[in-house]
Amino acid sequence: MQREVIRAENLSCSYTNSMVLDRISVVVDAGDYVGVVGPNGSGKSTFIKALLGLCSLSGGSISLFGTPQASFRQWERVGYLPQSLAMQNALFPATVAETVALGLLSGKRFPRKILSQDRYKVEQTLALLGVDALRNKLIGELSGGQQQRVFLARALVNDPELLILDEPTAALDPETRERFYGLIGDLNRTRGTTLLLVTHDTGVIGGYASKMLYLDKSVLFYGSFDQFCHSSEMSALFGSPSQHIICHRH
Amino acid sequence: MKVWIKCSVICALLVFIVSGCARQDEKNKRNTAGSGLRIVITLFPLYDFSRAIIGDKGTVVMLVPPGMEPHSFEPRPDDVARISKSSLFIYTNRYMEPWADRIVKGIASPQLVVVNAGEGLTYLESTGNAHEKHDHAEEHKHRQSAVYDPHVWLDFGNAVKMVANITQAITAADPGNRQYYENNAAALKKRLEDMDKRYSKGLADCSSRLVMHGGHYAFGYMAHRYKLDYRSLSGVSSESEPSAAKMAKMVRQIKASGVRYLFAEEMLSPRISETIAAETGASVLRLHGAHNIAVDEYNKGTTFFDLMDVNLKMLQKGLGCSEK
Amino acid sequence: MQEVPLMEIFVYGFVQRAMLAGSLISVLCSVLGVFLVLRRMSLIGDGLAHVTFGSAAMALAMKLYSASSLLISIPVVLLSSLGILKLMEKGRLSGDAAIGIVSAAGIAAGIILASIGGGYNVDLLSYLFGNILSITFEEVCIAVVLFVVVMVMMLLFYNDLVAVTLSEELAKVSGVPTRLISSVLVCLTALSVVLAMKLVGIMLITALLVIPAASALQVARSFKICVLLAGLQGVVSVLAGIVISFQFNLPTSASVVVLNLVLFMVACLVRRLRVTGSNS
Repeated sequence: MQREVIRAENLSCSYTNSMVLDRISVVVDAGDYVGVVGPNGSGKSTFIKALLGLCSLSGGSISLFGTPQASFRQWERVGYLPQSLAMQNALFPATVAETVALGLLSGKRFPRKILSQDRYKVEQTLALLGVDALRNKLIGELSGGQQQRVFLARALVNDPELLILDEPTAALDPETRERFYGLIGDLNRTRGTTLLLVTHDTGVIGGYASKMLYLDKSVLFYGSFDQFCHSSEMSALFGSPSQHIICHRH
Repeated sequence: MKVWIKCSVICALLVFIVSGCARQDEKNKRNTAGSGLRIVITLFPLYDFSRAIIGDKGTVVMLVPPGMEPHSFEPRPDDVARISKSSLFIYTNRYMEPWADRIVKGIASPQLVVVNAGEGLTYLESTGNAHEKHDHAEEHKHRQSAVYDPHVWLDFGNAVKMVANITQAITAADPGNRQYYENNAAALKKRLEDMDKRYSKGLADCSSRLVMHGGHYAFGYMAHRYKLDYRSLSGVSSESEPSAAKMAKMVRQIKASGVRYLFAEEMLSPRISETIAAETGASVLRLHGAHNIAVDEYNKGTTFFDLMDVNLKMLQKGLGCSEK
Repeated sequence: MQEVPLMEIFVYGFVQRAMLAGSLISVLCSVLGVFLVLRRMSLIGDGLAHVTFGSAAMALAMKLYSASSLLISIPVVLLSSLGILKLMEKGRLSGDAAIGIVSAAGIAAGIILASIGGGYNVDLLSYLFGNILSITFEEVCIAVVLFVVVMVMMLLFYNDLVAVTLSEELAKVSGVPTRLISSVLVCLTALSVVLAMKLVGIMLITALLVIPAASALQVARSFKICVLLAGLQGVVSVLAGIVISFQFNLPTSASVVVLNLVLFMVACLVRRLRVTGSNS
């Protein structure tokens, strides 16, 4: 049975006086792998932030797992990897293990203590992402790709049903990027984790995602990649040659 | 737009309040009634002497506001304006107000006469405890070897000379009322001399001559005149922080000598004195250095003599002197 | 200039109280300091001390001295600390700018209030700033209570604090009440500054909030170790500082601060050696 994971209706969000999102209506079902694409400034990140309660709505409604966003408390079901989480402070003294363990806070009530029995979850996730050898290193000492994996581990430590990633591969080299997509693709296939991935790589994501959401302040397209490639509206938008190049890979 | 309006309103309000307060501040700077000669002085003893001499023929304004410790006083712009509008600016001595020279250089007023009330006095070096280093070296940078104790007014013989200096300046500025000023000055000198006699008698026969002071070295001149053994915790300026070793030493000295009273100074927090007293079982008595007075006392019209009379009683109690 | 043999200094009551209260205060300041330094709010101790100055001027104008002045100071400083957070949020300012604004406001208010009154009965500054050598028994009790309050809160909120300090966004999405946690941090700091200032003076407070944390950050290999090291440096610097000030007849507060600086340089050196060690 298909469960609705995200339902956004007529969502509008504005900073100061400019309308960043204009009446977005989207439904994401369990197990979907949605690529969120669009030009710069199209509001992709804002859409994500609105879903997560990090941006205040000026209109419409969002519900997560059937619960309205404002009263949603089951954050252990959601994993979030924000855009360019470069360590501003290279001296931040947390180890990889400590950082990933922080992901466990979602599932806890006050006082949020990390217990010894939680350690195994942390270890499992570290191993899954191949960073268990780095467990005692300070996160400031890692490379960009390694940090990315650590924060992904943090997002995954509670085995969430929904994983939201905001431009996760922007700073990665092609090889690392491929591995990354492979990894989360596995999650989607084997565990049924719903994925919502914001990216520039319209062409690349098309090969993995089950659905494409094209945003430019409003929803310009929402459907499968195939439909995307054959859509006349998209041709009109991109121009046929570009559309061909994007879809060419597949 | 709205934000600008809000800001302007708030700014206007602030300016209004501050200027209103400044006017209030002016009124509070109490002066003796009457127009005529306008004198600005720095410290309380000068204030008391000047107003006694000038009587109702002029105004005396005290620069350091009541309640403020003068060793850390720095004049504000309106203080400079106040000085430049007056005929006489009288300060205590170069060591007490090192900023006095700097200020008067900046004032272009031709009719302003600057008076060093401490001219011609003998200045003692501040020894505190012998061979001690002094914490306030930065105030006396230009005087290399010697550090002089500025608290001259606590030796009443010096006070008499200061009165003479002040009278001379006032008479020079207003020769018409010479007789009036000199009569007042003579009465003042007599009071000072009487007090000196009371002190000499009152401190003649005491079971101890040891004055232990938990504050800064202010009573050197008084101790010198009446042959008291004066030990203070800190140096000549009130800004120095007492060291742990000195505190321990004073505790040992008090215990060894068996004195039961320790003195604390006016207006500053007596914490350190109370700590030493608690350690030794002594009690704390207050000794007023007359640098400045509390605003309540100022409003009541307390005089230098009132303060010194109380000091005598405190000294007699602390040193176990027989009443005479 | 050894006037007192080392063992003898412990005999003095004021030394015992200085060591006890000083240690407790240094630990709680160092621990708070780790989070403050990482959030670029290192100077909040200084800023809140200026606000305390303004509030004390207000209290003295109302003829409230000593303990009763705290009735004014504590609420004013607590509100100011929350005000700093509000400025950061609504004014889109970083911590240092927000602190600078509130700090300047505090000084200005104090100066204006001080001159309005036309004078005081006591010297404002000498009552405001305590001295570690003049701590009374009651003040030791205050230090104990403050220590317990701060450490209990730190323990209860430890993981939340680490999460919020690392990334406020991620913490929010983990269900951590980020505004509340930030408020708890600054309010605890405000309370510590107001009370500890009366006990040990402003120089020690601002130094203890920053330097032990900065030193620990140089060498710590995990967050837990960072907090522990900072607390350890706090205690060591106070105890050793008191002893050294005796042995060499130096002002005590300054000795403690200098020791902290020395330990900081040692930490930097250790870090430098580690780096070259791993490179070779």
